[in-house]
Amino acid sequence: MMSQLWGLYAREVLRTFRNPFVLAFTVISPFMWLVFFGSSFASDAQYLHLGTNNYIAFLLPGVLSTSMLSIGMFGSMSTIQDKRFGFMKRILITPTSKGTVFLAKAFGAATRGLIQIPIMIVAALVFGVTFPLSVLDWVAWIVGLMFLGIGFCSLFLAMTASSTDWQTPGVVSNFITLPLMFSSSYLVPNTTFPPWLRALSDVNPITFATELGRSFVIGGGTPGIDLGYLAIWAAVLGGIGYVVSARYLKVE
Amino acid sequence: MSAPTPSTAPIGEEFAVRAVPEALAGAPAGGIEVRGVTKRYGSAEKGILALEGVSLSVEPGTIFGLLGPNGAGKTTLIKVLTGIAPITEGSASVAGFDVRRDPMEVKRRIGWVAAEVILDDDITARENLWLQARLQSLHDWKERSEALLAYFGLTDRADDRVGRYSTGMRKKLEIALALLHQPAVIFMDEPTIGLDASTRRGLWELVTGVRREFGITVLLTTHYIEEADALCDRIAIIDHGRIIAEGTPNELKARVHADLVRLETEERLDPARLQALPGVQQVSPIGTGWQIRVAAAEAFLPRLFATIDTTRVQRISVDKPSLETVFLQLTGRSMDADEGKADFRKFYVQMRRLRQ
Repeated sequence: MMSQLWGLYAREVLRTFRNPFVLAFTVISPFMWLVFFGSSFASDAQYLHLGTNNYIAFLLPGVLSTSMLSIGMFGSMSTIQDKRFGFMKRILITPTSKGTVFLAKAFGAATRGLIQIPIMIVAALVFGVTFPLSVLDWVAWIVGLMFLGIGFCSLFLAMTASSTDWQTPGVVSNFITLPLMFSSSYLVPNTTFPPWLRALSDVNPITFATELGRSFVIGGGTPGIDLGYLAIWAAVLGGIGYVVSARYLKVE
Repeated sequence: MSAPTPSTAPIGEEFAVRAVPEALAGAPAGGIEVRGVTKRYGSAEKGILALEGVSLSVEPGTIFGLLGPNGAGKTTLIKVLTGIAPITEGSASVAGFDVRRDPMEVKRRIGWVAAEVILDDDITARENLWLQARLQSLHDWKERSEALLAYFGLTDRADDRVGRYSTGMRKKLEIALALLHQPAVIFMDEPTIGLDASTRRGLWELVTGVRREFGITVLLTTHYIEEADALCDRIAIIDHGRIIAEGTPNELKARVHADLVRLETEERLDPARLQALPGVQQVSPIGTGWQIRVAAAEAFLPRLFATIDTTRVQRISVDKPSLETVFLQLTGRSMDADEGKADFRKFYVQMRRLRQ
């Protein structure tokens, strides 16, 4: 299984880097959030009780977290492309299980989500954000984002396992992206949320990934708990995705 | 594997068949056994019955053809045998392993060439081969991979993205992928669909060359009668999910149709004498000569020549029946009566793949 998983994972990564268009847009969208949205709020930062006066520093961990949402959609779309072009048949006429196909797609998409990190960090540096992180902090942050991405991608892949329609990932994305984004502490601290939204925010994995990043960039917080929660999120959703794909993944 | 044989004269230059280098010596060929296989898509009441009680047996090292019109169930049978679609009833084994019980063992021993040419266009030929090696868990594959690239004349372009390949090159790369893990059986689904006439003839050369040089069992589907006739050792004619006839091309033709021998001679012939020869079905005068309907002209002609004065023969001709007439006689329909429906679907899939 490791041989097949490595082959299919490497294929996903290769394809991402071979397509400059995809690569550019993976980075541009979060970049625009950071620069445009971040700049428009920058002057009000002092009123928001952020723990920092630099709104970009506050926003960056949230932008990195929410952009892991869209990569779930990419993973699901590339699976549907493989079904429609018959490549899924080419894979499954070899001793490769459907579960392995799922794992390669989930890890491959999560890896794609990590590409933006160095570029966003550089952009944040330009806006005066400082990064007082140890090597271990960096690793924990990246692993946390990877967990978040694996969970989302598993969710997408499970929901579209039996679909061969190009439109499905977009519809699923609209369905889950906005509620998850706005019920997290992505844009503003969730201390000001009404109780029901606060309750949602407190279980939202985006909140955990965002707070994880903030605890490194701004300080404070409980990074151990955040990372643990994200690990459970990835394991549970990954498990569900694996079982659903092994059972329901359509070949064409 | 026997020692490499000298190369044969190619018809299409692009598909020149060369002797196989040592590195490519393959695994022993395996056979295929299909026993009463039924495949239903959907529910028992409303579903589509794609295969109905199909039984056939393919000897190791032979080329076996599934001939039938579009929608007859040919591709479904390949899906069932490659483990892509589950069998509804019946059983099948490929290369000695049961398709239901040991699907992974079967998949280790088969190669597959798709009708639509399915490759990853975004990566190079070498990367496609690397991926195939990973999917088949191969360890010492590099030498084979390079030997296959050389064998198919792709070495110069091996680091180009496959999306930039011509149709013929893509087809050859697909066959190289199918051969990489030394399979016992290769499945080829409509191997020449969408190819022009000369490329098609070149590919025929290649398929027979692959069988001869690699000693691999080939099961191919086709709806081109001349293709089945030219390539296959044995043929099963399939229609509406059922096998309606099976045999060598010559047996099939003999079964439903006789050969026609037309003879003109200066000698005065007694029709009763011709009629008495073994295998003769009917003797009738035609023009200035005779038309003799016989089971098989190959067996009849030596007997005829032993009976008549061969120095006085003016003209002799033999008409062999074609598989087309066989199909027509068995089903009452012409093979290409519904040509252009399902056929175009596959063709468009291929066109979409070749979008540049």
